[in-house]
Amino acid sequence: MPVIQVQNLKKYYKVHQKEPGLSGSIRSLFSRKYYDAKAVDGVSFDIGEGELVGFIGPNGAGKTTTLKVLSGLLYPTSGTVSVLGFTPWDRKPEFQKQFSLVMGQKNQLWWDLPAMESFILNKEIYEVPDAQFKQTLDELVELLEVKDFLKVQVRKLSLGQRMKMELIAALIHSPRILFLDEPTIGLDVVMQKKMRDFIKEYNQRFNSTIILTSHYMDDVKELCERVIIIDKGRLLFDGALAEIIKKFANHKLLTAVFSEEVNREDLEKIGQVKEFDYPRAVISVKRTVASQAAAQLLQNFPVADLNIEEPQIEDIIREVFTGKDLA
Amino acid sequence: MRKYRLIFSLAFQNEFIYRLNFVLWRFRNVLRVLLAFFLWSVVFTGRDTAFGYTRPQMLGYVLFVLVIQTLVMSAPSNDNVGGEIANGDLSNYLLKPVSYLKFWFTRDLASKLLNILFSVGEIVLLWLLLRPEIYLSFHPVSLLLGLLLWISGVLIYFFLTKIAVFAAFWTPENTWGFMFVILVFMEVLSGAIFPLDVLPGWVQSALQFTPFPYLIYYPIGIFVDRFSHAHALRLLAQSLIWLGISIWLSLRVWRAGLKNYSATGR
Ligand SMILES: Nc1ncnc2c1ncn2[C@@H]1O[C@H](COP(=O)(O)OP(=O)(O)OP(=O)(O)O)[C@@H](O)[C@H]1O
Ligand SMILES: [Mg+2]
Repeated sequence: MPVIQVQNLKKYYKVHQKEPGLSGSIRSLFSRKYYDAKAVDGVSFDIGEGELVGFIGPNGAGKTTTLKVLSGLLYPTSGTVSVLGFTPWDRKPEFQKQFSLVMGQKNQLWWDLPAMESFILNKEIYEVPDAQFKQTLDELVELLEVKDFLKVQVRKLSLGQRMKMELIAALIHSPRILFLDEPTIGLDVVMQKKMRDFIKEYNQRFNSTIILTSHYMDDVKELCERVIIIDKGRLLFDGALAEIIKKFANHKLLTAVFSEEVNREDLEKIGQVKEFDYPRAVISVKRTVASQAAAQLLQNFPVADLNIEEPQIEDIIREVFTGKDLA
Repeated sequence: MRKYRLIFSLAFQNEFIYRLNFVLWRFRNVLRVLLAFFLWSVVFTGRDTAFGYTRPQMLGYVLFVLVIQTLVMSAPSNDNVGGEIANGDLSNYLLKPVSYLKFWFTRDLASKLLNILFSVGEIVLLWLLLRPEIYLSFHPVSLLLGLLLWISGVLIYFFLTKIAVFAAFWTPENTWGFMFVILVFMEVLSGAIFPLDVLPGWVQSALQFTPFPYLIYYPIGIFVDRFSHAHALRLLAQSLIWLGISIWLSLRVWRAGLKNYSATGR
């Protein structure tokens, strides 16, 4: 039984169209033109307990919108959603006590008070028993190494310190489901790594279900076995990360090292030359003809070394996002 | 209940962080009373009554406004809710098992408590300074009815102004100006600037059919014995009807607004 079920979810925003300039502003006071922005346009997926799913797509794909619907902030235009058996936008307290939505660079903490005050407030709001609160807090504070900053006004914390505090505030009620919208945005590489380790640890230790969006492929590669790719509100792919290569990569890369000077034009006859920096060249060829191309290369050129490789996952995803070479 | 008690105490702490703001805000209120005080002193030079008020009654009214208005109209929710809707901070609350309206009413109460503590001090100070003869009913029935009407007024004000700030669900860009106009109107029409019976008769009769006089003018009127007890009781009943209407309407607008809410800003 999946904990999250989404069926044919659509969310259209009504957007009012404003002509540019002052006269446009004045005209729009009297007659407003509306159009539908199809942020999510018929998306379906199921997620099982304990899964850590990467939810990726280019800017404006509809990721955040989907997460907002799943957490009950938005009413969908159509479709059905069930999270832990609840309809999110009913906003039942029993539902709200079991999940958390964390958005990078946004604050739920009281700005003028130390983070500790916000934690205590969340404890009361979520009705967390004293003992559990103390244990969870101690664990999180240790994992995230923020002991020294608990009593500092939130406005005086650095971005990274604040993100950690945000995370603690979001986890103090031990949610079974976590929606993480770009949790590593704006963090330095060391902090990004720590955040990733933490997410992984949290998922494994508590068997919590996590949906994570990120524009950093490292996040996805390191954390998620399964990814869901959406673009323009539509689902492009749902499956194991490794499957993306099979499904979308319709070419392979031949990396050759030559023992003698070769001509670039001659190489172009084999395939598309991606890099050429004597003695090394990288040539992209159609998947189906990869072995023939390799044989040709060996026959007709002074090859010292040859490698046939799958393209980088980043490159495939970039191609998927830009919509070219789609199989 | 515990959660709202904690919100109350945090809100109280939060007010202290902006001490200087707070002190300036109280200073403004005292200035306003002084100004009104001297204006009416001029009106009453050389005569005993004006607009049907004796001098002590009128000065009593002006001092009363300080306390009553402080309790009714101290509402940080009015400065914050529209912004939270417009910039998407409302999402923080919608995600949690907490009622947004109760949250802000609790914060308002914390601010009201702090303001009322100060305004009582100010009244004593002003009284020592100006030594006016003021009139206050000491009849227990008047005091009780006045108190009930006052509490009802506090609640009516909260819900009425929420209806106005919820406009942010539809025009997030224009909330501040809209709110400003509404608040100024409410201040005048509720009797916070001058007692409403100095207005022309037809305006008064029209105002009777609005909720505004129930916020300040009627409660004070009862405290200074302007109305018979029977009349006061009727006003209380009508005030409760207005309270019902404003709660009902604000909840409807709130629900409709949530349907339109797009949790922007993230
Ligand atoms: N409140 C809104 N009103 C109108 N259109 C909106 C609103 N919010 C989002 N959109 C539009 O819906 C689409 C999806 O937005 P969404 O924020 O879900 O994208 P995203 O996948 O999270 O992108 P990003 O990676 O940039 O965060 C975008 O085209 C956006 O312009
Ligand atoms: Mg987004």
